[in-house]
Amino acid sequence: MNRGVWAVLLWPNLLASSVPLDCREEQGILSRCPSISQEKLLDRVIEHAELIYRVSEESCSLYEDMFIPLQFQRNQVGYACITKTLPVPSSKNEIQQISDKWLLHSVLMLVQSWIEPLVYLQTSLDRYNAAPEMLLNKTKWVSEKLISLEQGVVVLIKKMLDEGMLTINHSEQGLLQNGVQPQMLESVMRDYTLLSCFKKDAHKMEAFLKLLKCRQTDRYNCS
Amino acid sequence: MPWCVDWLADTPLEPHITDCISRDQATFQCWWSPGNFHNLSSPGALRLFYIKKDSPASEWKECPEYVHSNQECFFDNAHTSIWIPYCMQLRSQNNITYYNEEDCFTVENIVRPDPPVSLNWTLLNISPSGLNYDVMVNWEAPPSADVGAGWMRIEYEIQYKAINTTKWEALEMQPQTQQTIFGLHIGKEYEVHIRCRMQAFTKFGEFSDSIFIQVTEYTFPLTLVLVFGIVGILLLGMLIVISQQHRLMMILLPPVPAPKIKGIDPELLKKGKLDELNLILSGGGMGGLPTYATNFYQDEPCVEFIEVAVEDADTGEKEDNQGSDTQKLLDLSQPVSQHMNIGFSNVVSFPDDDSGRASCYDPDLPDQDTLLLMATLLPGQPEVGKRAMAAERGARPLVHTQTEGPQTWVNTDFYAQVSNVMPTGGVVLSPGQQLRIQESTSGAEEETQKKEKEHTGGEDSEEDKEKELQFQLLVVDCEGGRYAAEGNAWQIGGPHSAPMPGEGYQTIFPQPAETTPAATAEGSQSPYILPDSPQSQFFARVADYTVVQEVDSQHSLLLNPPPRQSPPPCLPQHPLKALPAMPVGYITPDLLGNLSP
Repeated sequence: MNRGVWAVLLWPNLLASSVPLDCREEQGILSRCPSISQEKLLDRVIEHAELIYRVSEESCSLYEDMFIPLQFQRNQVGYACITKTLPVPSSKNEIQQISDKWLLHSVLMLVQSWIEPLVYLQTSLDRYNAAPEMLLNKTKWVSEKLISLEQGVVVLIKKMLDEGMLTINHSEQGLLQNGVQPQMLESVMRDYTLLSCFKKDAHKMEAFLKLLKCRQTDRYNCS
Repeated sequence: MPWCVDWLADTPLEPHITDCISRDQATFQCWWSPGNFHNLSSPGALRLFYIKKDSPASEWKECPEYVHSNQECFFDNAHTSIWIPYCMQLRSQNNITYYNEEDCFTVENIVRPDPPVSLNWTLLNISPSGLNYDVMVNWEAPPSADVGAGWMRIEYEIQYKAINTTKWEALEMQPQTQQTIFGLHIGKEYEVHIRCRMQAFTKFGEFSDSIFIQVTEYTFPLTLVLVFGIVGILLLGMLIVISQQHRLMMILLPPVPAPKIKGIDPELLKKGKLDELNLILSGGGMGGLPTYATNFYQDEPCVEFIEVAVEDADTGEKEDNQGSDTQKLLDLSQPVSQHMNIGFSNVVSFPDDDSGRASCYDPDLPDQDTLLLMATLLPGQPEVGKRAMAAERGARPLVHTQTEGPQTWVNTDFYAQVSNVMPTGGVVLSPGQQLRIQESTSGAEEETQKKEKEHTGGEDSEEDKEKELQFQLLVVDCEGGRYAAEGNAWQIGGPHSAPMPGEGYQTIFPQPAETTPAATAEGSQSPYILPDSPQSQFFARVADYTVVQEVDSQHSLLLNPPPRQSPPPCLPQHPLKALPAMPVGYITPDLLGNLSP
């Protein structure tokens, strides 16, 4: 809970450190965004990811304590998360073997895939009668930060991989895997599933970015 | 429902998965138990299958690595996927499946890191009251957790408790590898251990081995203080000794006075040079020991000099009395002493009883005074006499031993014979020397007086008279003529040695009206020793008082020459040796024996 409070209070800090997208560096137009080094940008992105994961974990715990009292219910959501069209590395070995470009693109894909569902989650939670205020605030905060994270990753890709600005496509994807237990279509379970799946993916983002950082600093020592 | 199983006691406990744990988020293990089905406890009776639900078309697979001794299945890196749900299943030989949906998990959720390593502590500080202290505990991340690469974010939890308590105190979790424990009590022993978990996850790892912290009371290092104190005192003492070396040497080892005589080269005092020493002491070297002799001992601060008494041994108290008397009478400062103190460097013969006084102390007289003293040694300098101050010390007749040039004699008479005492209290002094040319009458008178005295002095033995007669004191006054007919002052001259030429002395003339020599002669039965020597031609009248001018090298007194018609050659008539330095009139009978013609 303390971490949640701390994360909420850090809103202005994170907002201030967010990187605006409309940085133009051509034709002598004075850009409004300050230039930032690649290392610093990567650090900022990692901070974002860590914070997002922490807040999402707190939200999930809150939700569990309130709405999911039984353990078996908690266990059921483990494998109800969506699968991405682009396979994301799922083991440490795989992650160590893929390239930087692949890592970054994976992160971007993850981030982009969750922007819409979080908005949906927010609307769903607002319809609750007894949803705690903190939960709502956290989820709102997370959805906002996710957008900042997406921007940061895009710039990072541009800097590290020298690729052009990627178009941000928020493809509509099914939130839930088809064919899984229908009882989970209840809104509570659905929301809980959303939360836990998002938590998992946030952890992925954090792990990917950290490994990327390790590679940047000391490529040969990153196991 | 788990509780249903427990409630039904007769329901056998079927084989089940005990636990699945990942230590490093890259591998994991699962343990199972056969439950009550003991027949399935043999290795291989139960087989573990898993499914990785990463796609809808995933299938059950068997355990990649069995550890039958532990009933454990180990999933290595290749078979471990993160963020992908796993489900475990046990199958027996006859295809009975024991499956529980609770055994599904994702690997990151089962991570329990190993305990941190290298736990130790350092003392931070002790409170001013001396009752509490703070401790900094530090450790290292578990080696299995890949914290360096950022694969796992770990936070730590320290717990501590006093030895004899049961409740552990937990500090706040934090990801650093060090933490401070505040407010421990002095004297108590504490037990500390640590565990860790992945940040934002729920499952903790095992506790590390405990370490024990204890800080005892601060004892004043008494021995240390003592040692340092003694060393400090020793150093101080050495410093004092070194800085005050000379003084200490003086106090502890005062200089031993060696024989030192002023004016004499210390080389002479050494053995084997007695002859030279005698020569010097007897005055032969430079006409007597120079008063201002070379100071051989200038550089020695505290030199004790031996005083050499230059005068004869017989001159004793008489000089003292006479000197003082005469001084009082004449109101002259004649602080002269027979004793010549050779001991003081730069100080000339000063009357000093204390012959053993060291030269460390200030000389008794400043130089100014010594000059005056020396000047007054020559009786005949009125200006000197007038200048001479009253003697600070006891006045003694000084036998001056100066070898300075003869000084013109001013008629200063040291001694004045009291001719008569007036009823008013005044003292009539007769001149010390009468130079009479027409001595015949007086000579006759003298003769008569002599005869009278012979008669009057009949009390004395014949021998004494003879002795008296034999005594001759010749007072030669080379200048002569000064005291012409100034009353019949008794003059007794006697042979004396080496009168200085040009000497004369001042007489204090008595009041003529009151001084009738005859009367005075009768009044004063001064034992004049009238010369009756074959050499009487040299003088018709002898002065009553002979003033000792000086002592020559042979320590004989040089007296004033008697008045004569023609200035006689100032030749010593009869050098007398061992002559007491007193006027004729004061020869005592016992001294007659010492006189020899």
